[in-house]
This record gives sequence, structure tokens and C-alpha cells, in this order.
Amino acid sequence: MIETYKLTKAFKGKRAVDEVDFYLDEGESVGLLGPNGAGKSTTISMISTLIKPTSGDVKLNGESIVHNSSKLRKILGVVPQEIALYEELSAYENLKFFGQLYKVEKSILEKRIQSTLELVGLRDRQKDLVKTFSGGMKRRVNIAVALLHNPKVLILDEPTVGIDPQSRNHILEMVRRMKEEQGTTILYTSHYMEEVEQLCERIYVMDHGKVIATGTQSELLSILSNEDTIKIQVDKVTDSLIETIQEIEQVHQVEEDKDNLKIIAKKSSNIVRELVLAVEKEKAQLLNFQMEKPSLEDVFLHLTGRTLRD
Amino acid sequence: MSTIFFAQLKKELRRPLFMILLIGASVGVTLLFTGSTQAPMQVAIFSEEVSQDVLDNWEEKLNGNSSFQFETKEAAEALEDVKEGRRDLAIRINNNDYQVVTSSEFPEIAYVEQHVQKAFHEEAMMKAAVSQADNPENMREELEGYLENPPLKIEVSSLKTDDLNNYDIKTQLAFAFALLVAMFLIGFRISNILKDKVTGVRNRILLSPISKTQMYLGYISYSMMIGTIQTLIVFLIFQNFMNYDLGDNFAMLVVITIIFSFSMASIAMLITGMLRTPEQFLAIYPSVIPLLPVISGAYMMPGALTNPVLNFIGDLFPISHAMNAFVEVAFFNPDWIELLKPIVFMLLIGVIAMGIGINLMERRSA
Ligand SMILES: Nc1ncnc2c1ncn2[C@@H]1O[C@H](COP(=O)(O)OP(=O)(O)OP(=O)(O)O)[C@@H](O)[C@H]1O
Ligand SMILES: [Mg+2]
Repeated sequence: MIETYKLTKAFKGKRAVDEVDFYLDEGESVGLLGPNGAGKSTTISMISTLIKPTSGDVKLNGESIVHNSSKLRKILGVVPQEIALYEELSAYENLKFFGQLYKVEKSILEKRIQSTLELVGLRDRQKDLVKTFSGGMKRRVNIAVALLHNPKVLILDEPTVGIDPQSRNHILEMVRRMKEEQGTTILYTSHYMEEVEQLCERIYVMDHGKVIATGTQSELLSILSNEDTIKIQVDKVTDSLIETIQEIEQVHQVEEDKDNLKIIAKKSSNIVRELVLAVEKEKAQLLNFQMEKPSLEDVFLHLTGRTLRD
Repeated sequence: MSTIFFAQLKKELRRPLFMILLIGASVGVTLLFTGSTQAPMQVAIFSEEVSQDVLDNWEEKLNGNSSFQFETKEAAEALEDVKEGRRDLAIRINNNDYQVVTSSEFPEIAYVEQHVQKAFHEEAMMKAAVSQADNPENMREELEGYLENPPLKIEVSSLKTDDLNNYDIKTQLAFAFALLVAMFLIGFRISNILKDKVTGVRNRILLSPISKTQMYLGYISYSMMIGTIQTLIVFLIFQNFMNYDLGDNFAMLVVITIIFSFSMASIAMLITGMLRTPEQFLAIYPSVIPLLPVISGAYMMPGALTNPVLNFIGDLFPISHAMNAFVEVAFFNPDWIELLKPIVFMLLIGVIAMGIGINLMERRSA
């Protein structure tokens, strides 16, 4: 229902989003995954018609919305990355304000506000000022505002950044219910792999403004079907140890994580022996050794040479 | 538009302290610079020679047509008051002359003296005339009638010198400080646009079916309204609680204030349009605004500021035109036509600044 064609945005000549092709079918939930600065928010801003693309196009049911955005705006709910609320007003007053902006009919609005507050679990705190809320509660109000006009498509830009696990679970559960019970189409942005794994049927992985991989979870994982992920723990990690491991022929990637090393290497029978030799050569002691199935995290590492939360 | 307007209002009512502080500041600063409230000056008259009846006559005569308040007192008490500094002066009435008893040297004393002298002069002429007449009683009444309704009247008019007699710097300063604080409130409320832009509220408004015009109208009309209300509150405080004479035409003051608020909201929009964050606004706006009344000559007598460069710069801002209009209303009793020029100037500044300001703002967010 929504698709982009070579969508590009440049700020002062630097491309923040670079020829992104993307589509979103009705009733689908799609994840947009990428590290800080990958261009996720910029892509979303263009899709939601807040900024104009430098080049390329966004289409709704085959019609370009770059110069004619009203049709899309009507069916779109956007949860911005920042807390876009009046902190001096109460949760209820915020919902009422934005509901009135959306020209939701008076008789419906009151009911809608209450049901939305119920959904985000803040009905009993609605009279309190937003500035007195915890980060997680603010996030939930931030989402509630986008739901008032009953949007068909919901775009969420990192809705769980920096909040407590309880609020986070609540939000994830809520998004899942919106999709399953109301058939809402979801575009979910995050740099938490687990969330996207849980919620989304299809995933786009972005880095440096480009889509570097796309597909279902299993499709993405199959990128690494020829690879193994090996975790080893040693008594001390040195630079020369990492170098030595990197010199092993089959090894693609070495990632340091405290005393652990995460190694992505081509499937082969002698990789274990090579690793043991390398550790011995550096006079380190091997404390733990583990083979893992690759995760999306590993896919990302493989594709970019970086972890998601760099 | 009304949705945005009322959301701003709700926020204001939730924390009204800023506005109250501004109102307090303008009243406080005016009092600080002018020294006092504007109660009519009280002058004691007393005598050790003439009878109580004569003294009462003098009291009546002096109080007629005067901005001072004369009251008869016991000689000892009046002298004591002056000596102790409770009163600036007292008048000792004798049979044929008077004496001013004072211990200080205020400019007002000269005015009182002038006033008393005029009264004595009249009385002396009257006495002389009456003493020649056959029928003294009739003669006195006739003369008094003539004095009140002279058959011939010479009106001396020169370039406003006559008008300037009732000019009062205190009232002007009250206007100037009221406008100064209004500029702060109006500006800060316009800068809500910038704040909402940074928090993302503006994006949400833009995504809603409300048009941009409606959005801007909401912010602008709110700033105008709150600026006008604050200014009028300040005026009412001066007029009703401190006896400042703001002229006879409050409706004119209201109209000028509304137009000034619009014009100033536009200037604030222009400044806001050039900036990116509310922090920048907070740094720049309060350091620019206090200069405006200074270069507009708002703190000085009309016409005292003669530097053509400063005059030109001052005229680019609404405060100089609003001050002209206010001074006009308070002291010179103008009709609406005479206010047309400052009003048109303010509207012109408003429209131009608003156009450029909104344009800059939109370009920033493209
Ligand atoms: N208005 C702007 N002007 C200039 N550069 C911008 C602007 N907005 C974004 N950028 C740049 O574009 C790049 C992509 O930013 P974007 O916000 O889309 O990333 P993101 O994937 O959402 O990251 P995050 O996870 O931090 O939210 C960044 O390098 C950013 O600095
Ligand atoms: Mg972002």
C-alpha cells in the first residue's frame, strides 16, 4: 500500500538516506533496523510527508504523495522518536488537544481518549501532568496521541528507547494487539534486535543511509547459513590475540565483549583447532568455548562490520 | 486555530508566575524611577493675622482650578509639619500678602508659588476695583462673573508649549515600562513555536488536518491577546491604584495596545524565524529588547532624542510609534485621525516582519 522508489535525502550534500526502495503492504508489520545515524528517522519523516525527499518518490496505492499528502496523512499515525507532548499539561489534556487538532468529533473523542488511555495503561493517571511522569509513561502517552484518530498505518520511531522493561513489554504487547485485533499496518523502527524479531514479519536493515539487507527473519538468517558463530572466553584479551585470530583464513569477524570474543567464521571442520592454536600461541588461557546459531545481530555484524549499538 | 490558542492559554494559566512577575516589575520599576505614587500634593495654609472666615475664603479660592490640594490648619501644626519634613511647604496668609514656608526645593514648589501668586494678584485687583465702586457687593459679583466667563478671550498657541504644561514624565515612564514588559511576554509566547518545533509537537500539528495558516494564527493571536491583557492590567493598576493620569480616552489606549501587540508579535516572529532553538532565543531576545525603548527615546521627553540615526532605527520598531500614540492620548487629547499615523506605521511593521518571519521559519524546516 505504501512504497518508496529510490528515496533520497541529502543534508548539505551529505546523503542521510540513499536510494531506499521499500514497501509496506496492508496489515503487515515491518521492522526498520539500524544503528544510530543510519537514516531511519529521516526515512520515516519522508514517508510521513514531514520532509520532502531530495529525489525519489513515496507512493500510496500507486499515487505519489510528495506533493499531495492529505490522503496519506488521514490514515497515518506517527509516534515520533522524541516525546512530542506539552509537559505542562496533563495526559488527558494532551490527548484532548491532539484529538481536537485531528478534528475527531466531540462525542467520539471523549470515548476514544478513555479507550486509548486504557490501552496504554494510564487511565488512572490521566489527570497528572506529563512532566511528573516516568520516561516509560511519557513514551506511552506519546504513543497514545498517535492512536486517537484510529490510523490504519502506524509508524513508530524507536518507541522503547531508554525505558524500564515493564513499560517496554507493555508497549510491545500493545503494538502486537493493534496489529492482530485491529489489523493495523505497522512500521516499527528500532535498534533493539529482539523487538523487531518479536514483532515484525519483514525486516529492512539500514546502515549509512542505505538498505543493506531485507527479507523475513529466516531469509536474513540464511545469509549466515554458511557461517558459524563461536564465542570463546579467555583469561585476558589482548590486541595481538585478536590479530592472530583475524589472520585465521576462515574468520570473517572478531568482536570483543569484555573477556569474551565473538567470532564469525566460515563453516569448516578445522576452525576449532585453529582457534585453540591461536590462543595457545598468544599464551592465553581458554576458559570457555561455545558454538551458537547465528542471530540477526550476527547478520548485522556480518553485513556492516559493526554491532547495532555502536 | 482555537485549539492551539487554548492550549497555550492552558499552559499559561498553569504557570502564571511569569506574567505576574512582569506586571510587578513594570509597576515596580516605574515607581523606582519616579519615586512616588501620583497623589495630589497637599499644601497647608494658615494665618496668624486674618480671621478664620477669610482663611476659609482663601482655601476655596486656591482650591478652585488647581491640581494641588490646599487645606487650612493651625499655624503651629502647619509650621511643625514643614519643620519635621512631613510636608514640603505651607502658605502663611497675611492681610495683604503671603509667605511660602518651605524647607526643601522641589520643582513643584515653584508651581504652587505661581498658583498662589496668581490668586493674590486677582484678589488685589478685585479689592482695588471694588474699593472704587459705589456698590461694592454688586461690583465683586460682576467681576467674578467676568473672570469666569470673559467676554474676550485671548488664546495663546505656540508649538505645543501650552500643551506641554500638563505633560508628565511619570506617566510616560509608566507607558514605557508597561510596553517593555509586554515585549518580553509577547516574544516569549511567540518563541513557543520554536519550542514546539524542537520537542516535535509542531510536527504533530503539521501532520494533523489543521492548516499552517491556522497554526500560525493560533500562536500569533495568543501572543497578541496575552500581551494586550498584561499591558491593560498594568494601565489599570496605574490609573486606579496610583492615581496616574493616563488621559481621558481609555478606548484609544486599548486600540493602540492591541495594534502594538500585533506589531511586536511580528518582530518576535522575525527574530524567532532567524533562530533554531529556544535556547538561542533565550540568549538573544532579552538582550536586544531592552535596547529598543532606549533608542526609541521612550524614556525621554518627546523630541528630546534628536540623533537622526537613532531616530531612524527607533522608528523601525513598534514601541516608538506606540509611545508617540500613548503620549498623545495621555496629554494632548487627540482625535482618532491624529492617531492614524502611529497606527499605520505599527501595522506596516507588523505585516512586513510577520511575512519575513514566517518565511524564514518555513525555510528553516524545509
Ligand atoms: N535536519 C538535519 N540536518 C542535517 N543533518 C541531518 C538532519 N537530520 C538528520 N541528519 C543526519 O542524517 C543522518 C541520519 O539521521 P537519522 O536521524 O535519520 O538517523 P536514525 O537512524 O534515526 O538514528 P537514531 O537511531 O540516532 O535515531 C545523521 O547523520 C544525521 O546527523
Ligand atoms: Mg532516529
